[in-house]
Amino acid sequence: LQLDHGCALHTAAKHCFSPMVSQDVQTPAETPRAVFYTSEKDPAKHTEQHEGQHYHIPLEEVKAVFPHGLPRRFQQQIKTFNEACLMVRKPALELFSYLRGTNFAHPAVRYVIYGEKGTGKTMTLCHVVHYCSRQGWLVLHIPDAHLWVKNCKELLPSSYNRERLDQPLQASFWLRNFKASNEHFLQEIKTQRRYMWGKRESTEEGRPLGEVVEQGLARVRVASDAVGVVLKELKQQSDLGSFRLLVAVDGVNALWGRTTLKKEDKSPVSPEELTLVYNLRKLMVNNWKGGAIVTTLSQTGSLFKPSSAYLPQELLGNEGFDALDPFVPIPVPNYSPKEFESCYRYYLDRKWLQHEK
Amino acid sequence: HVPPRTEKMAVDQDWSSVYPTAAAFKPASVPLPIRMGYPVKRGVPPPKEGNLELIKIPNFLHLTPPAIKKHCAALKDFCTEWPSALDSDEKCEKHFPIEIETVDYISSGTSIRNPKARVVTLRVKLSNLNLDDHAKKKLIKLVGERYCKDTDMLTITTDRCPLRRQNYDYGIHLLTVLYHESWKTEMWESEKSEEDMEEYIWENSRSQNNALDTLLQIKASENDSNVTKEDLLASEVVKNYRSSVIALKNEGETEKNMSQYKESVKKLLNIQALP
Repeated sequence: LQLDHGCALHTAAKHCFSPMVSQDVQTPAETPRAVFYTSEKDPAKHTEQHEGQHYHIPLEEVKAVFPHGLPRRFQQQIKTFNEACLMVRKPALELFSYLRGTNFAHPAVRYVIYGEKGTGKTMTLCHVVHYCSRQGWLVLHIPDAHLWVKNCKELLPSSYNRERLDQPLQASFWLRNFKASNEHFLQEIKTQRRYMWGKRESTEEGRPLGEVVEQGLARVRVASDAVGVVLKELKQQSDLGSFRLLVAVDGVNALWGRTTLKKEDKSPVSPEELTLVYNLRKLMVNNWKGGAIVTTLSQTGSLFKPSSAYLPQELLGNEGFDALDPFVPIPVPNYSPKEFESCYRYYLDRKWLQHEK
Repeated sequence: HVPPRTEKMAVDQDWSSVYPTAAAFKPASVPLPIRMGYPVKRGVPPPKEGNLELIKIPNFLHLTPPAIKKHCAALKDFCTEWPSALDSDEKCEKHFPIEIETVDYISSGTSIRNPKARVVTLRVKLSNLNLDDHAKKKLIKLVGERYCKDTDMLTITTDRCPLRRQNYDYGIHLLTVLYHESWKTEMWESEKSEEDMEEYIWENSRSQNNALDTLLQIKASENDSNVTKEDLLASEVVKNYRSSVIALKNEGETEKNMSQYKESVKKLLNIQALP
């Protein structure tokens, strides 16, 4: 890995310069790359002719748009190659065509991306998130809903509603990343009513939403309620049409399954008793307008589901299916021969695959 | 050393005299070059000489077709003729829908009794019984494992009485009781919930409610508020959606089902694809 890193930096330096200097001019060094690499950086302009090709996302944009969204292997790949290259594939293009044609006066349409393990559902979701953030939508990205239903060290009884349970750590982590990705929106959107945090602190009506987020980050105990307030405000205000809301949830089947968490008396916690899950479920219902909901199903983090399950009904269960119905299912297949060739050419070019065999 | 008997066997010999009864596999008496067993590396399965695997398994060498023909010929004197009018399976089923199976056992010993002989099996196809929808579902629930969905056959096996005639009467009594009970509707049957349903009914389900709510919202946003629920239910897109959801839930998920569902949802929600 050490040798590779050195090699990759060298080639990365060379290639980083060439796309910036020669925008669309094909230099002799770049012509072999045209098969699997497109210099079109804006996802909005990706069409079927770009299918199978990788496009480059500048690293600053990666930090801004996906502070926590990319799968771990891809993050490692970015670190190794020192650049982020995403492949344009048909399911993503299909989603773009639907999103372009959405009627924002109608209730939000739900899209569920499903497919077998490792076919690229999370990457498709990230592609869609990049597209929407470029188009100026407000992106509400929950990287993996499974993180909210398992491995939680601290469960506090909720201050707002006695029966529910809070998760301060997960909530504050998510708030931090949400702030990083949507700074400018948080200053523009104003709260519509007064919120009380505990006995003394409160946020008045008409203050920017950024203050609610600050409150959640500063006082970790009320972080989950802050998340709930953010979600509620965004839902109400996207109805008014001042901005477009994209709700992107990865691993949405976690919201309707079982959890591995236990209360203090060792009784199992069901998902609706968690504040975060409860509020997110309210967002999933399509009684708001002015945006879209794109979700993926994921077996990898899911609990109590067999590893061969990938179809929507198996992973969502009856309850989840009924809650999300009617949705548009989008299957993501494995790489086609063309895409596979493009992928290994890219790795060859990056000197990741050392031997030609 | 003496060569095995197989080398002296003629091709058209009488096999039923070699194996007249059920016997173990004798490699020297069976002229077939059989190999059985797990091969060693880069080898073949072991041959039949001294092969314990072939001796362990039950063999039917005593029941070849010519042997069976001989058995039938011998038993013919004790049998009556098959009625000539019943020459096909459908006719048999039409006139005699219930099939009764009993087994007789003979053994050479001091007593002719065999406790296994009292078992009686009744088989009947439910399509031959006069059942309506509710009665059929109730009968299937009452009967449980004794009903096979693929062949639509109800099988009742009774052996709780000491005599075969008593078991037969009991079996017939069970069938009558099941039939009459499934026609009656009890008061507590009205509490049947969604989990008890055998198949998915779309009317009054959450899916219908969701779809109708969405459509009403869409119509409201287009200021078309005189559309009622009945109109929506009768419209083409909703019917399409309904059939695809029912197919998905009842038959499980296949590529075809999912693509059909996708198309119907796109038409329902009026999603356009702008390239």
